[in-house]
Amino acid sequence: MNIKAGDILVAVIVLCIGLLVGWDSVRLGSGWGLEGPKTGFFPLLMSILVVGGCVIIIRQAITGKSSVKGDKPFVLPGGLRPVLIVVFPAVGMVLLTEVIGLYIAAMIYLAAYIRWVGEFRWRTVLLISIPIPLIFYVVFDKFFLIPLPMGLFGAQILRF
Amino acid sequence: MEILSHLMMGLQVAAEPYNILTAVIGLILGVIIGVLPGLGGANGCAILIPVTFVMPPVSAVILLASVYWGALYGGCICSILFNIPGEPWAVATTFDGYPMAKKGQAGKALCAAFFAHFVGAVFGTILLTFFAPLLAAFALRFGPPEIFAVMLLTFSAFVGLMGKSPIKTLVATALGFILAAVGIDIVSGQLRLTFGLVPLMGGFNFIVAVIGLFGIGEIFLTVEEGLKMEGIKVRMRWKDITDTLKAMVQYWRVLVLGAIVGVWMGFKPGGATPASFMAYGFAKAGSSEPEEFGKGHIAGIFAPEAAAHGAGTSAMIPMITLGIPGSPTAAVILGGLMIWGLQPGPMLFKDKPDFVWGLIASTWYGSILGLIIVLAFAPLFAAVLRTPFAILMPLLIFICAIGAYAVNNRMIDIWYMMLFGVIGWAFKKLDYNMAPMLLALVLGDMAETAMRQSLIMSQGSLWIFVQPPIALPLVIAAALIFFWPWLGPMIRRWREKEKPAKA
Repeated sequence: MNIKAGDILVAVIVLCIGLLVGWDSVRLGSGWGLEGPKTGFFPLLMSILVVGGCVIIIRQAITGKSSVKGDKPFVLPGGLRPVLIVVFPAVGMVLLTEVIGLYIAAMIYLAAYIRWVGEFRWRTVLLISIPIPLIFYVVFDKFFLIPLPMGLFGAQILRF
Repeated sequence: MEILSHLMMGLQVAAEPYNILTAVIGLILGVIIGVLPGLGGANGCAILIPVTFVMPPVSAVILLASVYWGALYGGCICSILFNIPGEPWAVATTFDGYPMAKKGQAGKALCAAFFAHFVGAVFGTILLTFFAPLLAAFALRFGPPEIFAVMLLTFSAFVGLMGKSPIKTLVATALGFILAAVGIDIVSGQLRLTFGLVPLMGGFNFIVAVIGLFGIGEIFLTVEEGLKMEGIKVRMRWKDITDTLKAMVQYWRVLVLGAIVGVWMGFKPGGATPASFMAYGFAKAGSSEPEEFGKGHIAGIFAPEAAAHGAGTSAMIPMITLGIPGSPTAAVILGGLMIWGLQPGPMLFKDKPDFVWGLIASTWYGSILGLIIVLAFAPLFAAVLRTPFAILMPLLIFICAIGAYAVNNRMIDIWYMMLFGVIGWAFKKLDYNMAPMLLALVLGDMAETAMRQSLIMSQGSLWIFVQPPIALPLVIAAALIFFWPWLGPMIRRWREKEKPAKA
């Protein structure tokens, strides 16, 4: 996919969001109510701007007047793999957080990433991945009294 | 003289040991945040907002402001030693900063940048101290139509003056307002744009958006480009400092001009980046040796850095007086104000003088403390950048997740953060401007309320938005700036047609 296609794709997605917002605003009522503009008035105005703007963006992209043009690829060659290597483990960490809480999920995430992507020695891996989440635990949970997600079982594991 | 007595009171508040400690911690964190690519001042402040819940508001704002000043100082370390501008306004610094560092004068280049920052900070702080109260007193007369006109001017400035694609900036702004509208309508109490989905009922929090758009998105971009961190080693010597001081005397005009351009441009939203380029251009044009610029001329560091810091400081003025931030970081601090239960706007000077003047006073010693910290520990901060990326990156994502969750204690916010990361990544590539989008998200409720209240006042007549004496000139200015991308080329073409006709 080159950047022109990406430009059009993103504009179409934003356009659809704009249409959705416009539809809901009309449903809620966008005219003049008993005392002033109704709930949907302002969102409708914004959705008109978005839809109109996106139409112009798409036209600019097709006619080659967009500020991003040329045959540049949308994702740099060889760039998608490293991005996915960041995205998937991060999503995995968030999924794990739902189960065992952010601290333990972060330990596993840090250890796994530093070991297999960074290819560091196990000593380095453990020296970073275990103490840092623990320090954050003490600072946030004990010192600032800001609870972070514990998931379903996190509270049972971290019991100090 | 009233201002001076207020300032003395503010200094008393800001000089409490707890607040000074907060400022020092904030500055150190800020420099680290500024040094790291992908973590700017806006991001750092957003992540720290949950921590400020346990502090009194004065200390909280001092912490965030110190992070902001620190990040401004830290940004130039990255651009001089690594040739990577950490922030858009640091681009101009790389022109001369990196060549100078390559010639083995890294220490001197850093000193020059730090002292230039200090000069910019002093100018900005003076303006903040003496001009902000006057503006606030004037703004007390603002009603809903005037507030709406100021907002119009703010967002027009983004469309007209910033970014490569005005139309995309406009769409991004409207999108920000839409995101702000999701959830409960604060005027009527109705739910809207939730499409029956429970997670949407809580709306979108701007902190989550900042962390996603500016933090996670930036990490994706960095990874994609496969950035290699190959920095120049630096040692600070006394001679570097004395040399810089001598150069400062020689180029005092460049410094002062840079700082003035900075505070003037920074007052308007999105002004720091054009200010740094303008200051660089002025310095080059006014120099007796313009051919040396780009090869490592010290004045090429002085000008943009003084402008950038001046702009950063004066961006606080509209934030504290009108409740309209001039930069993304100021927007986050403003959001913090709302969370702490303070009503931003001109009344703040009357209702919470200890808060406002504590903040202003802290910028006075914050600039000096910041200078001392960066001068003393610059090599240490540069070492942060040498942390291998495979260690830094997962840590950053972990810290971002903490920040996103802790604002509202909602798990869904971490997912939103990832989503905003992808949006930020795509938008950055396609020249959508994210700063006004963020501003719209922060100011959404305020702008909408101002607009609806005005219409209620006028019973539906649009003329209320252009009523003299205050709203009318503001709206005219907004319209001029908004259409500048189209007007500018038109005027230029018209002039070119004139010229041959005369000749």
